[in-house]
Amino acid sequence: MSIKEVKIKVDDRELTVPSNYTVIRACHENDIDVPHYCYHKDLSIAGNCRICMVGLKGAPRPVVACAQPVTEGMEVTTKGKDVEEARKSVMEFLLINHPLDCPECDQAGECKLQNYSYEYGRDHGRFHEEKVVKSKATMGPHVKYWGSRCIVCTRCVRFTEEISGTKELGVIYRGDRSEIALFPGQTLDNPLSMNTVDICPVGALVSSDFLFQSRVWNLHSKDSLCADCSVGCNTRVDMDAKGNIKRIVPRRNDQVNKEWMCDYGRLSFPYTQENRLMKPMVDGKDASYKEARAAAAALLRKSKVTLLVSAWNTNEALQAVKDFAANHPGTTVFGYANPGRADEKFPGFTISGDKNPNRAGLKEILGLDADQSLKDLAAGKDRIGTLLLIHNIPGYTPTAEMKAVLDRTESVVLMDLADTSLLRYGNVAVSLPTLTTFEKAGTFVNKDGIHQKFAPTMEPVNFGRTEAEMLSDLAREMKAPTTGQGVGAVSHGGAAGTPSGTTAGKPARSGKAG
Amino acid sequence: MAEEQKPGNPGAAIPGAATTGAVSSAAAPASPAPAAAAPAEPKPRVPFSPVLLKYINEPNSHTIEHYLARGGYETARSHVGVTEPATLIKLVDDSGLRGRGGAGFPTGKKWSFLAKGTGKPAYLAVNGDESEPGTFKDRYILERDPHELVEGVILTCYAIGSKHAFIYLRGEFILGFERLHAAVEAAKAKGLVGKNIFGTGHDGKPGVDLTITVVRGAGAYICGEETGMLSSIEGGRGYPKIKPPFPAVSGLFGCPTIVNNVETISAVTHIIKHGVAWHKQWGTEKSPGFKIFCLSGAVKKPGVYEVPLGIPMREMIDVYGGGLKDGRKMKAVIPGGLSAPVLTPEMVDKCTLDYESLASLGSMLGSGGITVLDEQVDMVSAIYNTMRFYHHESCGQCTPCREGTGWLEKVAHRFHHDEGHQGDVELLADICKNMRGRTICVLADAAAMPMQGFLQYFKKDFEAKIKDPAFVEKQRTYRDEISPKAKTLSATGAGPSALDVGSEMAE
Repeated sequence: MSIKEVKIKVDDRELTVPSNYTVIRACHENDIDVPHYCYHKDLSIAGNCRICMVGLKGAPRPVVACAQPVTEGMEVTTKGKDVEEARKSVMEFLLINHPLDCPECDQAGECKLQNYSYEYGRDHGRFHEEKVVKSKATMGPHVKYWGSRCIVCTRCVRFTEEISGTKELGVIYRGDRSEIALFPGQTLDNPLSMNTVDICPVGALVSSDFLFQSRVWNLHSKDSLCADCSVGCNTRVDMDAKGNIKRIVPRRNDQVNKEWMCDYGRLSFPYTQENRLMKPMVDGKDASYKEARAAAAALLRKSKVTLLVSAWNTNEALQAVKDFAANHPGTTVFGYANPGRADEKFPGFTISGDKNPNRAGLKEILGLDADQSLKDLAAGKDRIGTLLLIHNIPGYTPTAEMKAVLDRTESVVLMDLADTSLLRYGNVAVSLPTLTTFEKAGTFVNKDGIHQKFAPTMEPVNFGRTEAEMLSDLAREMKAPTTGQGVGAVSHGGAAGTPSGTTAGKPARSGKAG
Repeated sequence: MAEEQKPGNPGAAIPGAATTGAVSSAAAPASPAPAAAAPAEPKPRVPFSPVLLKYINEPNSHTIEHYLARGGYETARSHVGVTEPATLIKLVDDSGLRGRGGAGFPTGKKWSFLAKGTGKPAYLAVNGDESEPGTFKDRYILERDPHELVEGVILTCYAIGSKHAFIYLRGEFILGFERLHAAVEAAKAKGLVGKNIFGTGHDGKPGVDLTITVVRGAGAYICGEETGMLSSIEGGRGYPKIKPPFPAVSGLFGCPTIVNNVETISAVTHIIKHGVAWHKQWGTEKSPGFKIFCLSGAVKKPGVYEVPLGIPMREMIDVYGGGLKDGRKMKAVIPGGLSAPVLTPEMVDKCTLDYESLASLGSMLGSGGITVLDEQVDMVSAIYNTMRFYHHESCGQCTPCREGTGWLEKVAHRFHHDEGHQGDVELLADICKNMRGRTICVLADAAAMPMQGFLQYFKKDFEAKIKDPAFVEKQRTYRDEISPKAKTLSATGAGPSALDVGSEMAE
């Protein structure tokens, strides 16, 4: 079936849109506002909320824009008395049984009922009867349901039918008693369940995780990227005034994640704070960055360097690794990845089993297949003198291969996010704290080869250097004339030992770029 | 052609059906209706005896033996695999048969809309949900002459090229389901339904296959709406579907589907058997033929009556129904099932039983369920009861219907308890206006239309139930006095009540 272009007229504008579009889609893609509750671009058309009514030349009364296919020469009006009146009547109907509990509703501030009330609401109520009260329920581990607020748009039901395919939700009862409910014996516990909260246009489905955490107007948002798997969902990170992440919600990118995101990624942010490495350490003791980098440089100079870099690093870090290796002949570079599991496939979304955001980048920049590369390194028999390990994987458990590599290594210089099992595993001589994807800028290449940039959303919790900066510092340190000194000598340097004293206590602070 | 029929069927002892005997118009005395009310056409009244309900009072009329003995399935046998399907569609189109379920859409025209060449199977879905209050006609066909329907299904499926028909019955029709199911099984056993029906598929001729599935609903009014019924057959919630696409293009399971009422399909057999001229000898130009009416309410002889279309409504009530009970006076008539706007006695005098006459009176023929209300009926209670029904039955899909039906019921409930407020009559009218034409199916209209009719003709009954009208008026005056600013604002469109507080505080 060939899709032709048709010309339609909306208000005073001429639009040319594909013939398979509906009126609402034609309007939305041309920045013409048509209010809607039940319509969602990625879900089937339900046509039940009736707020999207527009005037159609030749039609006796307003029609719903979401269910109206475009036809050549169609003339649509999105304003005017008929249309306004129809929308106003729908708003009135929607609110008669609504509890109007905005002050304690989590959706307040981002609620379509509030938004459209502002445009199409009445100034006073004409409903003096008793309201229908519906049930409250816990739908699943992450989702709660406030029945009375529900406008039965069935977005959530269609989501579980069409996108997650898990079909936990349905409508029970009839008429104004209609409620969303779980099918008997079911729980809304699929890994995409929290998308129902996002698409709920009112405060009926709310996130247990975010419930009563903050008023949304007190949050500030920054765009980011989810690093939890190789899909690379585009996200919006909402933070409180202190910069603490309160929730992560998906951001539309039709090439990557549409408007969806999995619960794992959404709930992954606590690692930004947990057990984070705050300061460099040398031999298990806190040290200054200057001391640590001198100690690391000493170790790196001692023998040929083996660089082991994970698929959690940005393209920028990987490029720095490549440059480092090029400048230090004899350096060998290996890659590794967080062990994966099977993909979780749903009719409308796939959660990648590859729990690495940049496996493709590792291949692209360093030409390394992450799994094979670690195997190669583990298969070797020679002792490894100094291993520069750039880790950055939250919640990592060393694999047998990783253990084999560490067991053969004399000393490890570790760049990592947190105080993890890897740090505890032993023979880590120097550890340098790194930044999470929320604290640094960078680029990841997702599983489909799409390069995606991200910017920091929050201030670094630690001293704030990226891997690239630290690698460059190490390279400089390795070339520096005052070499071969022990830790004490380095710490003794600084103000006294360096005549100019230019670098002491003044590390480059570019970690907060962007 | 139309044989003389003996009046009534005294021998037919069917429990609970004493008043449902089909009365022939030949046996009925001349209409006492005034001359002005007679149908406009000059053609003399052709004698009519029941066609669809002819045998319903005979014992065992539901069995295949009885049906075969009276020449059953001969029409299907002579046409299936012989006549061109297009010829049959044209015949039904020419006969002017209109859908008997309520909307009155021309049946032949509907059949011709069926999408061709889609590569998908076509289905026939027969609507036997019969859930419109005051309607109980299909039930008699299903319970007492199911083979008449089955033969109609065979002919229709052959005409539209469908190999699978679904017959949807309301859940409460237990006897009807049993008998129809038995009828389909009996027809299958005789090779009339199934593979290569009527011995087709031999001598190089293509075989004709037909499967008939009888589906039972679970007692929802909305499943009588054609697309709601399709959703229900598909196994889903009985939610009506958005049109377009119409079922003839994308209906049952996304395939082209024809949806017809039980009575329509049953009539098809007789029209194909007797021809266009036979069918057109009754009725009016735009409403030819005959129809079953269900008479209920305050009449002496309520029941089902099959009559030619176009007879005066007075004749239906006074002759067939024997007039009003106990010599009471008529207050109103609901002419076509509960959702048809009500008629006053003056309108009833002018009304004839055809699609055009009722449409001209602002009502509709609908499903043919005529309910007579006498002077003892409290119209406000009647509308409360009506609204309770629609509130209960709204599927809850579209906002205006889901919320509007409940609102109407609640306000009607207050009126019912003599607690109407000043302005409530206008409010009810406004809710009705806001509900109409703004939903996927017509349930919202079906709920609003009776309310609008009652408000139009019986407004005084409502106003009599307003509790202390002066009370609210006093409040209003008080508000305007203390808040003159709000008054001026209200004149400019910004409402007063939200601003009351502010303006009071400012003073």
